Amino acid sequence: MLPAPDTQIGRKREGVSTVNLNHPLAANHREAGETMKKLQYLFMTLAVLCFAAPAFAQAGTAGPVNLVPIGAGVGMAIAAGLCGLGQGRATASACEALARNPGARAGIQLLLVLGLAFIESLTLFTLVIVFAKVKI
Amino acid sequence: MHEPFWITNLLNHAFAGPVDGLLNLVGVHPDNPARPINDTFALEVLVAFCLIVFFAIVRMSLSVESPGALQQAAEMIHEFTGDQGEQIIGHGAERFQAFVTCVFVFILANNLLGLIPGVVTPTSAPVVPLGVACCTFLYYNFYGLKEQGIGGYIKHHAGPIWWLWILLFPIEVVSNLARVMSLTIRLYANMFASDMVTLVFFSMVPVVIPAVFLGLHAFVSLIQAYVFMLLAMIYMSIAVSHEH
Repeated sequence: MLPAPDTQIGRKREGVSTVNLNHPLAANHREAGETMKKLQYLFMTLAVLCFAAPAFAQAGTAGPVNLVPIGAGVGMAIAAGLCGLGQGRATASACEALARNPGARAGIQLLLVLGLAFIESLTLFTLVIVFAKVKI
Repeated sequence: MHEPFWITNLLNHAFAGPVDGLLNLVGVHPDNPARPINDTFALEVLVAFCLIVFFAIVRMSLSVESPGALQQAAEMIHEFTGDQGEQIIGHGAERFQAFVTCVFVFILANNLLGLIPGVVTPTSAPVVPLGVACCTFLYYNFYGLKEQGIGGYIKHHAGPIWWLWILLFPIEVVSNLARVMSLTIRLYANMFASDMVTLVFFSMVPVVIPAVFLGLHAFVSLIQAYVFMLLAMIYMSIAVSHEH
């Protein structure tokens, strides 16, 4: 005999919404006041933190801004990011090739390590230039 | 300025005079004539000496029936480089195996020396990888010239289509010279960056985190020694290849 419909485990009742009515942003009059108060406190704290911004201003002019460290940082960041992209593509290709043909593991591993070393060395050239030009 | 190592003191004590004479012959005048040898060079010499002793002991105690531990280690290294050589150079890789094994073992030992706290990594001074790269350059050019003759080697650099030699020849020459630079900088920058990263994290959190970066240094040392050997073999195979 089939079990009665009311005793089936996990059956959803028809016509019942699955949205959680206790969501903090729901227009639910019981919770709205408390949520608004919490948000108010949060925004007031953030606004007060912005009052401290003038502390970062230079006390008087201290000459032209030294752009060499900034350039070094940005250059190194670009080099490292692009290296990450390149190595990611190389690794992805190697994984896919290995998945298609597990018997060719030795050759694929060889080419992968070689390719990764070449790509990494380009970023390392940038690092060497940074160390040569930025007087630490 | 840390106090110099005992090996540097020993070498300077023993060889300061002749080394000074040799350097003056080439026109280099060391700052302190009593100590012309610096730490990285002394460590290099120590590593080379230990490797020679290792090879000598293995050679003298070779035995088929009961190989000792050193012989098995040497056999592992020989098999590894032989495999790689066969994969990359194909037949005729045995004549190059000695050199690339030396390159691999020397660079690996130098890189791993940096793991010992207080000891500087010899390969983190730019001149050490430059030396090995120059040796590799001379070696593969020598074998390329020997294998293909001078005219043949130059024609080899002219590319497959003969009337493009005006374009291809400068590209090939520059690319060959750039190999020295790229081999040097790849090894030097990897070792230098590993050292630097370990020091930076040591200055921030001295307790557990630097050990992670020492592990990274060990891993990178292995990979860089392997890649140097691989590239030496690839350049060799390009230089002696007969593409008819």
